[in-house]
Amino acid sequence: MVRLRRAVPALALLAAGLAARGAAQDTTRAPRPFVEGGVFDKPYLSRLLGRTAIGGYAEAHARWERADGATEEAGFLLRRWNIFTATQVSDFVRIAAELEFEEGGEEITVEYAAIDVGIHPALTVRAGMLLSPLGRFNLSHDSPRNEFTDRPLVSTELLGVALSEPGLGVLGLVGLGGATRLTYELYAVNGFDDGLISDAAEGTRVALGRRNVEDNNSSPALVGRAAWSPRVGYEVGVSSHHGAYNVYRSEGVAVDERRDLTIWVVDAEARVAGVRVVGEAAAATIDVPPGLRGIYASRQRGLYVEALRPFGRAWVRTMPGSFFAAGARLDVVDFDADIPGDVVRRVTVGLNFRPTQDTVLKLNFVRGRTTDRFNNPSDQAGLLFSVATYF
Amino acid sequence: MHHRHRAGVVHPRRAALAVALAVAVAASGCDLLTTEAPDPGEVFDGPVDGLTAAELAAFVRGDREFGRPFAPSEGLGPIFNNVSCAACHSADGRGRIENALTRFSIGLDPALELGGPQIQDKAIPGAEAERLPAGVQVSVRLPPPVFGVGLIEAIPEATILALTDSLDTDGDGISGRPNWVTPPDFVPADEPGGGPEPRLGRFSRKAQVASILHQVAGAYHQDMGITSDFLPVENRNPLASRATEAADRVADPEIPAGTVRAVVNYVRLLAPPAPGADSPPRRQGAALFGSLGCARCHVPVLQTGPNPVAALANQPVRLYSDLLLHDMGDGLADNRPDGSASGSEWRTAPLWGLRLMRRFLNGDAFLLHDGRARSIEEAILLHGGEAQTARDGFAALGPDARAAVLDFVGSR
Repeated sequence: MVRLRRAVPALALLAAGLAARGAAQDTTRAPRPFVEGGVFDKPYLSRLLGRTAIGGYAEAHARWERADGATEEAGFLLRRWNIFTATQVSDFVRIAAELEFEEGGEEITVEYAAIDVGIHPALTVRAGMLLSPLGRFNLSHDSPRNEFTDRPLVSTELLGVALSEPGLGVLGLVGLGGATRLTYELYAVNGFDDGLISDAAEGTRVALGRRNVEDNNSSPALVGRAAWSPRVGYEVGVSSHHGAYNVYRSEGVAVDERRDLTIWVVDAEARVAGVRVVGEAAAATIDVPPGLRGIYASRQRGLYVEALRPFGRAWVRTMPGSFFAAGARLDVVDFDADIPGDVVRRVTVGLNFRPTQDTVLKLNFVRGRTTDRFNNPSDQAGLLFSVATYF
Repeated sequence: MHHRHRAGVVHPRRAALAVALAVAVAASGCDLLTTEAPDPGEVFDGPVDGLTAAELAAFVRGDREFGRPFAPSEGLGPIFNNVSCAACHSADGRGRIENALTRFSIGLDPALELGGPQIQDKAIPGAEAERLPAGVQVSVRLPPPVFGVGLIEAIPEATILALTDSLDTDGDGISGRPNWVTPPDFVPADEPGGGPEPRLGRFSRKAQVASILHQVAGAYHQDMGITSDFLPVENRNPLASRATEAADRVADPEIPAGTVRAVVNYVRLLAPPAPGADSPPRRQGAALFGSLGCARCHVPVLQTGPNPVAALANQPVRLYSDLLLHDMGDGLADNRPDGSASGSEWRTAPLWGLRLMRRFLNGDAFLLHDGRARSIEEAILLHGGEAQTARDGFAALGPDARAAVLDFVGSR
């Protein structure tokens, strides 16, 4: 009898949790998140009824990759194991964090840890280690949510996804009537550092300038994104990151010329005939030190476009919530827009199976071509299988 | 009766058919799906035939080092020209005009106090790139191909010296003279082209280099600003307007001797590409190449001698060069002596690999020591000095005969 008295509230809690989870999956009834798949749109958040929620995601790969007829990699990888926490501190204050373990623990980083103080739906103050709103993908890059094993090249190679920076700023949402809305985020952040040059052996690599945890030059950068969405599943966003990346002042003395990095990104999402189409295009302008011009690029650009078509819902009878999805993605990154070569192009086709919305098995075939600075081509192919799940 | 499938649902049979089709395509076009290895005869970066497994393993290690670019935080600079060996030698072949190096001196004085003997026109942040000083003799040098140098090294000195005719005793207007080079101290006597005595120069545009080790260690130091156990002192700009010592924070030497030796071994084992297929017009071109006198300097075949690497021993070397110095006239003169080579003398450039030159230069051609010639025909017509007679003979040929010569040379 005592056991039963204890079990009833527990069952009630479980039922409530499941109901909340079911509601979260029903997009017609759940409140629409600020960013779909963003920091406060994780499945674990709906599971716990207490003040603090803990969850995460894991991602494991099997990879077989070849280049110019030779096997480059054939092996297994625990790519990521991430832990999330989120706490509703009060009606107006919440805090979230993400701790990331990459490559089997070789790299451990605090990817996100920020405090939100909500003043009004149109104005929230956010401070901490932020996910920079530079393109939509950086804000929503969890592996269980993405449809392909590897992230878009433009995101990883040109924008440095996952790009998180210490910073402070504001975000908000403005309703424009009906389902139409405008969202914005604007932060002052530490910005990139000169690792994008000094740690880069193959010419300018913006991604190597991230992780500027202790601001190298005491000169904040600005990053912001504005997105217009007429309804769920349709959005156009514009974002930019601008700031000095080098140490040009030390103890009040000018020690170098100020050199800026400016990145612009346009992202879009739409649904056409049951196919979800997502893409981003990015362009970076880098002030390169005069002694490195001609080898280190001052202009880079890239894009990705992917299309995904779900099918076969409940084909697996034992998994009524399961479905398949077939998709394709095009990646292009031009590491030096002033010469014909130094370009990566890649096409990925994939077939996914989701036993539930939060778990995905991905099978991808990748075919790509890179060119060196002489424009000599090298061909790559890969067969990638991965499993990713929220927990 | 037509019926529409619900959005998001595909019939299982259609899906199965699609999967079967995908598998069939994958099976039928495996190379397309998994990439294809290039034909060994169609590249500049393949190993010579017949290497042992250990030699091939060393070749692969050297290949990795040859392609390895250096970042400033890894020791690049402080002043330099490019970030890796492969960044100048396209696919291990020749470079483009943008990669050309500027050498300078004052007579035989390498002008070290002015930053000689080479301009490093790039600099890492905090350092200052060099600019060409006034009043010096200048020579622009296109990065040469690096394949086949092991075969060149394996040709006995006596074979090359047998082709010399310094005083033109046979009266054909062509001399051919060796460049005797004193190797730097770091090249040991047991290294080919090393030791305290002058050795026959056989590498570089004026045959001013006698050993591959000298060439590779020098390229790391001069071209990339990478110090090694062989050249451990950083190259700096003596004319910099400010102190730049702190710019390169990596301790010297920045790479060990083993890395340099890995690259030496790699280029030593690089095979030249195979010549193109034989054909009647090509045979006519070959005959004209000989009768015009081109082959007196561009000697079609030399023979290697005994060698510790069996695959390099006693092999025919179809390089089309005598590896000797020839006076090429005022038009091609850089007026900058190099060792015992005068300002108008150049080593006969090997012709092997011309067949693939454009493929690895984005469709372009860069010929002669400074890349000024954009076609084989232009290069021939720019010949002078000892090659004047052959050049004039070529210019006097009819269109078909000219085309045959160009086809033959362009097929090497």
